[in-house]
Amino acid sequence: MHPHNQITRGIALSTYKAAELPKLLRMLPCLLVCIFAGGVSAQDLAGIAIHGFATQGILYSSHNNYLTMQSSSGSLQWTDGAVSISDSLTDNLRVGIQLHMYQLGQLGGLNVQVDWASGDYRINDQLGFRAGKVKTPLGLFNDSQDVDAIFLWILLPQGAYPIDNKSFYLSHVGGEVYGNLTPGSRAGSLQYRGYAGQNNLDLNGGYLKQSAEFGLAFTSPPGGKTYGGDLRWDTPLRGLTIGSSADVLAIAGTAPGGGITAPSFLIHAHYAQFTRGKFYFAGEYRRDPFYATLTVGPGVIPLSYDERAWFAMGSYRLLKKFQVGSYYSHSVNKSLDTTQPANYSKDWVVSGRYDFNAYFYGKIEGHCLHGTGVGYYESNNPSGLKPNSNMLAAKIGFSF
Amino acid sequence: MRIIRKTRWFILLLGLISCRTAAHAQDVVLVANSDMQISSISEADVRAIFMGTKTRLEGGAHAVPVTLKGGSVHEVFLKHHLGETPDEFRTQWRKAVFTGQGAMPRAFDSEAALIEYVAATPGALGYVSRVSPHDNVKCIPIIK
Repeated sequence: MHPHNQITRGIALSTYKAAELPKLLRMLPCLLVCIFAGGVSAQDLAGIAIHGFATQGILYSSHNNYLTMQSSSGSLQWTDGAVSISDSLTDNLRVGIQLHMYQLGQLGGLNVQVDWASGDYRINDQLGFRAGKVKTPLGLFNDSQDVDAIFLWILLPQGAYPIDNKSFYLSHVGGEVYGNLTPGSRAGSLQYRGYAGQNNLDLNGGYLKQSAEFGLAFTSPPGGKTYGGDLRWDTPLRGLTIGSSADVLAIAGTAPGGGITAPSFLIHAHYAQFTRGKFYFAGEYRRDPFYATLTVGPGVIPLSYDERAWFAMGSYRLLKKFQVGSYYSHSVNKSLDTTQPANYSKDWVVSGRYDFNAYFYGKIEGHCLHGTGVGYYESNNPSGLKPNSNMLAAKIGFSF
Repeated sequence: MRIIRKTRWFILLLGLISCRTAAHAQDVVLVANSDMQISSISEADVRAIFMGTKTRLEGGAHAVPVTLKGGSVHEVFLKHHLGETPDEFRTQWRKAVFTGQGAMPRAFDSEAALIEYVAATPGALGYVSRVSPHDNVKCIPIIK
């Protein structure tokens, strides 16, 4: 499911609010206090482990405003932070919670979200259970897409991992069964995860911003049942992992003056990654078909979306602290005219990351973006969109 | 003639570097709590335990991996037995921590502190330099 730029075009647009820098400035001290209160290393207070991260990004684009930021003028409205606390109560039982706050242009803001909060009972290595709010495995990176510190990339391939809607895909409330199977010493190992629960859209996320642009402002988040699983095989060839994921979702919700209904739809992803020495390669294919009905007053708007997205990436560690890489991300909406820029997104990316020490790092990334199918909003592009745009992103981050 | 002489020096230098690395690998030993009922461990199990995918040893005993925060012993252990650099190792664990799938192994500033913890903690498994005093813990040979 993606923002339906092609449908929103032509509909009355909401007015772009002035850059909310004061909000950002209020947010930063909170994050810094959270982080520095415990010193620079991860804290372990009688078995309670505390970890966290914070990042600040800047985005500049040659044309168009991206991800609700005023990126064509250079935008600093890109802050992320999280704190996690966990404790092992017994050898088999662990509990924890992670609080997350983000500001991405007009999305997010001063809302502390529970990223995950779960009890994890591992009977043995082959079988364990998690319950609460748990991360959703989908493709290579879905459950970790908010953890900037572990990636070379500033923006993951947006066709598969749209940052403006990450909070919707990241986790669900429910339960998960997981385990690690080793069929034989020469067969590698299989990691499986299966889950079921409830998933809600983020009131401050991209999808509901899109619906607000339709004139449908939700006051309680639409959501629905979800279930799915992930199976990944660490092959006998050391460093090579292949896997598949599937996620079934349904969405329903009402807002003053209308509502949204989307019957169950299946997202599936297939992926591989290979690590050898200083090299890393990965690729993924994902299909995301989505059909919904949006009711706005007396009008009924059918939404149809059939996204096919794939990416291929590679990176190399040039120096101990310096890594470079590149990826190509391709996304197209097959249910509409795929020759129209609004229905596709093709992104060539080059990235570099420097780790100053074990805690601080900096990143820089260039994008050559063709098409406007992913990440653009009408409200801060009132003059329309140009089909192509180049972007430069930079980020500094801290993690302990 | 000059080229041959240079090549000899280069080969000698390479030999010295490889001997030095090998010596480092041999100088790191896996240590465990004395109550642990194993006499050896496979390298695959060491990797799985320190990467968090395996939490129990043969026989069902709970394994508690612990690490050093840095230094050459840490780097050599990760490189030779886990095939990871310290950065890669940290990244893997950060991923587990921030996705709620695991708790980072306890890390120590010094080998003495690590040994003290291993000696006092049932199931604890760590690594130190062979020359560090480690009388009150058990050395476990790693089988390739």
